[in-house]
Amino acid sequence: MLGEILHILAAAIISWILFVTVDIFFKLPETGGVSGASAIARDIQAGGGALAGGTMMGNIVCSPDASAGTLLAACGVYVAGIPGGLAAALMVFIGNRICHDPGYAGTTGAVIATFVIYGFTLVGFAATDFVAGMVIAILSIQGLSHAHASRLLARLWRVRQ
Amino acid sequence: MIALYVVAAIAVFAALRAIIEKNTGRKLPYANVLNFAVAGALVLLLDHPLSLVAAATYFVGSTLEANAIASTYAGGGKR
Repeated sequence: MLGEILHILAAAIISWILFVTVDIFFKLPETGGVSGASAIARDIQAGGGALAGGTMMGNIVCSPDASAGTLLAACGVYVAGIPGGLAAALMVFIGNRICHDPGYAGTTGAVIATFVIYGFTLVGFAATDFVAGMVIAILSIQGLSHAHASRLLARLWRVRQ
Repeated sequence: MIALYVVAAIAVFAALRAIIEKNTGRKLPYANVLNFAVAGALVLLLDHPLSLVAAATYFVGSTLEANAIASTYAGGGKR
């Protein structure tokens, strides 16, 4: 029981690093992909957050990004191994096109996450650890404190620039 | 099993935060966490290859809804 909790926490940290790295690499904090993402960014800034971080959070809301890719890849690896993860990547790609997202952060994130998660299943992790871990990771960005999360993302974005 | 409880607890927490938050722009990220949790819970509850399709469809659909609400809230239209 304690082992599973520790696995979930470790999976949360791995997923967090993975999706934030991919999203920042694909310049999600730079500009809102749709007008709604910019509106969310403005409201987060008005609530005491940073605009660049808010833009990334708005983009995460408005289109499946690397965090969604990681979650669905974990689900895919759980139900069908590597083919399941790659099927999830295809569905994220279709989801991006449906949501008018011109980028490839979600698809890339899903493909990378598939192999990372499969690798960790070989060393004692379960794919379900990554499903719960990714939900904890997105909670830490979108669900706890928008002001603090957006400032942290803006700081990481400045490093990328 | 613990994974399912964690995901379900986060879903309830995110739903409550989304209800309590009054500002639409700041409400949507909480709803986003809820969508993640529900999609994850779906696959954890139903261990079947097709549940991946169900989760992905649910997730993309709910993201498109959030996109539509946010864009309407912003005044409508693609930039």
